[in-house]
Amino acid sequence: MATTASMPTERESRQHGRFSLSNGAYRVILTVGAAIFVALALWFLYAIVSQARPIFDQLGVGWVFGKVWNPNHNQFGLLPFILGTIETTAIALVLAVPIGLGTALALAYLVPPRVKATLGGAVELLAAVPSVVYGLFGLVALAPIWRAHVEPFLTSVFGWTHLFSGPNDGVGLLLAGTVLFIMILPTVVAISRDVLAVVPREQVEGAMALGATRWQVLRKVVLPDARTGLLGAFTLATGRALGETVAVALLIGNSDYIAHSLKSPAATIPSLIVNNFGEASGTELAALFGAGLVLLVIGVGVNAIARVLVRGKTGAAGGAASVAVA
Amino acid sequence: MTTLTFDASTDPILERRRQIQGIARASVSRRKTYSKIALGICWATLVIALIPLVAIIVYTVVKGIAAWNWTFFSQPTKPEGIPGGGIWNALVGTVIIGAVATIVTIPLGLLGGLYLAESDGRIAAAVRFTADLMTGVPSILMGIFGYIALVKVFGYSGLVGAFAIGMIMLPIIMRACETAIRGVPGHLNEAGLALGARRFTIARRVIVPAALPGILTGGLLAIARGVGETAPLLFTIFGTLYTQWNPTKVMNALPLVIFNDSSSPYPDQLQIAWGAALLLMVMVLVLSIGSRLLAAHLQKERR
Amino acid sequence: MHDSPTPPTSRRPRRTGRTLIIGVLAAGTLLAACSSSSSSSTTTSTAPGSATTAAGGSSYLASDLKAPAGTINGSGSTFVQPFFTKAFYTYSSKNQGVQINYQGVGSGAGVSAFEAGTVNFAASDVPMQAADLAKVPASSGPVVQVPDILGGVTLSYDLPGVTKRLKLDGPTIAGIFSGTIKDWNASQIAALNPGVTLPSNAIVPEVRADSSGTTYIFTNYLTSAAPATWTLGVSKTINWPASAVATPKNSGVAASIKSTPYSIGYVELNYAVENGFTYAAVKNAAGVFVVPTPASVAADAAQKAVVTPTSFSIVNGPGVLSYPIAGYSWAILLQKQTSSTTGSTLVKVLDWTTQTGGGQSLATSLHYVPLPPAVQTYARTQLLTVTGPSGQVLLTK
Repeated sequence: MATTASMPTERESRQHGRFSLSNGAYRVILTVGAAIFVALALWFLYAIVSQARPIFDQLGVGWVFGKVWNPNHNQFGLLPFILGTIETTAIALVLAVPIGLGTALALAYLVPPRVKATLGGAVELLAAVPSVVYGLFGLVALAPIWRAHVEPFLTSVFGWTHLFSGPNDGVGLLLAGTVLFIMILPTVVAISRDVLAVVPREQVEGAMALGATRWQVLRKVVLPDARTGLLGAFTLATGRALGETVAVALLIGNSDYIAHSLKSPAATIPSLIVNNFGEASGTELAALFGAGLVLLVIGVGVNAIARVLVRGKTGAAGGAASVAVA
Repeated sequence: MTTLTFDASTDPILERRRQIQGIARASVSRRKTYSKIALGICWATLVIALIPLVAIIVYTVVKGIAAWNWTFFSQPTKPEGIPGGGIWNALVGTVIIGAVATIVTIPLGLLGGLYLAESDGRIAAAVRFTADLMTGVPSILMGIFGYIALVKVFGYSGLVGAFAIGMIMLPIIMRACETAIRGVPGHLNEAGLALGARRFTIARRVIVPAALPGILTGGLLAIARGVGETAPLLFTIFGTLYTQWNPTKVMNALPLVIFNDSSSPYPDQLQIAWGAALLLMVMVLVLSIGSRLLAAHLQKERR
Repeated sequence: MHDSPTPPTSRRPRRTGRTLIIGVLAAGTLLAACSSSSSSSTTTSTAPGSATTAAGGSSYLASDLKAPAGTINGSGSTFVQPFFTKAFYTYSSKNQGVQINYQGVGSGAGVSAFEAGTVNFAASDVPMQAADLAKVPASSGPVVQVPDILGGVTLSYDLPGVTKRLKLDGPTIAGIFSGTIKDWNASQIAALNPGVTLPSNAIVPEVRADSSGTTYIFTNYLTSAAPATWTLGVSKTINWPASAVATPKNSGVAASIKSTPYSIGYVELNYAVENGFTYAAVKNAAGVFVVPTPASVAADAAQKAVVTPTSFSIVNGPGVLSYPIAGYSWAILLQKQTSSTTGSTLVKVLDWTTQTGGGQSLATSLHYVPLPPAVQTYARTQLLTVTGPSGQVLLTK
């Protein structure tokens, strides 16, 4: 509890030579701090845009939707990589949203208190694994299982759609998407759990007093109240999935073509950049920066959509949700 | 005079009452069943979520612990095929790069967070939006930004790597600080103002100490995130076999070792990669769990 | 008279005398050190400019040339990476203070880094041609390219159930990597391997995702041996068919082959041997199916005594013992070095690396082939043209 003794008066501060700032100076320093950040962000944006500019000058905007990437023949179509990025992220989200949400609900409301801390810590542990280890694990442990069991099984069940045509390589969209799901799962679970746990207890208890079953409480009271924060969690997870480079590059097979099936090798924009950046120069370098710009735009688009959906519904939960979990 | 007879079996009010009770009973059992199914699904998802977790942890520990010995920790990395290598130079690099990034971004992030917490205007909203955007920038883009902006001018060095990692950490710390500071009850700020204190004094002696748990948590999580990143280092620090303490020179780092050695045909090298992976995981885990413990401890002290 | 300060002129003789003595002592020590560290064999002079000794002659000690302490950074080919990292490690363990950092990122990336001026030297399995040289700023001056090792590219495969070594020829390999030959039991493969039961599984071609000199050597061979079948060109980056799985670096392709059954890919011999791969016997220009070994690679290289940056290809060489998919790797540096210390370290390291008794003696244990004597001479001649900022030759004792 702060006592008056720990709040020095103006005179005391100056007498004892304690450092203090006038309100004006304080405000200036804070603004400078924020301004430095904004300057860095603008520098970043400027660098990406100016490096990408040559290819937009040369080829307009249409090249982004081109289907063929062949730098030797000056062809720089990005469509295969845009699709690959979206497809792997989609696979990851389709798995992460239900499983992550269910797990978060379980952790926040169903798990006995003693076990809660351990399991919560365990989920955080998953977030601590570096992405290159995920890639390694996926390549060494999961790819053989995918090749021998998962892909044949899915082909036998869903083969009638053309989503599962082609050989069983192991590596490809499916494996990359699945490992991506494992990677964003802790983000989804940790933030969702925090968000779900701060729903006002009065509302929860009130609903229970009215005779609602536990599921009704969750569905009608907790989830609606946490909607903003949950969307924030999913958006952050999407952002993480879109930008994931190392694990995806190891698991996606690196094909420059549009994938025709979930089992095909493919590529994403981050994997394109990491594989080609070292040797690119001239137009190809500009094309890679252009690809990075496209990735940024997609990410911003995702963010903007999330904001429109939650307009006017901010709250403490929403704020907590925006702290990115490692 | 009519005689009122009460026949429990035909009385319309009782009948109605029985009807309602029947509906309620059916409803309760239906709702309970739905609830059981839904909660069962939630439990199932929890189990499903834990499977890959356990698998990866166990796998990494088993493969990594085999590498941990004195040579591993004390020797620098050696070329493929030469035994007796370790990760000392990579550990030094990771710590130094992490330290440089932290020293710059924590104060800057705190200032930015204070700014955001204390301002509500449109400019502040724009800054907040920028910070949200920047938290979502893929780390590979920070890597190529670091290359274009700095490596082409100053050459490869640990400092450029620290810059790229710092750019990733900064918006995270800013938002975490803002959230933590906004979480401090308003009446503490008002009490300080009522006593006639300057804003700086209030911030320094009341707000920041009160928000410290959240700030520390956010900060340590950002550091954990930063030291685990690989992509920003790929095009900035170059890598080296030598133990380099000077961040203005090329350095090595744990994520780089893992990435480079992950597909080595030499079992020695591969084992070192797994050992490094385990070490990095442990470091990051210590940071993130340590941050929670510290925050909880500080919370307790305040009560 | 004595209390006035002694005029400066009277001090000079004493100072000069002291300096002279120190100078003589220093020179003497240096001379003694030089002569004591030079080899004790009969070939007295290891001074550059004299012809290199044959293999087995005097050992070329790293300490023979006093390289100034410092750091040099190089990047590029993964083809040569195992050799370079071992050679540089050996050199710097004998020359404390010299640190050589080599980053294996693929020949294309190395050349790009060199063009951007962010590394002191690049390593590429195909020398820079006119188009690449044009990207080096004119102010940097001419470029020196030096062959540094000789190696072979294997066709390594993972074929469960087949124990006999497969025989493949140019058109068949071209068909596999163009995607026209899709299954292991295709008629072309079966025809070359009678008596071998081939599985019906689909072939998974394993290729490079990054810009690679190994890809260049491989496609150079395909164009030479199967001009009608191979239509994807000769380059460090190729538009591989959709069925190919691409991974960066030789080590990445090796790891992919190792973990993918029914795959086949092209990796340098060191990676193939260290991973315990099975690799194919490839038909050479003389019609013989040859297994890649240092000996067969050397036989192929012997068919072309003189290599220069403009005439460097040795694929598909004549001779019954030649393994057809082989090539030199090249170290690339600026002729006009801007720092005499860094430049001096650089040329001395590269000279030691490219000479018998020096780095080349490490080649065989790593499954490479040491440079033939004529090529070593060429390398040294090229390194002798490297000058410092004031035009002085840097490769001196």
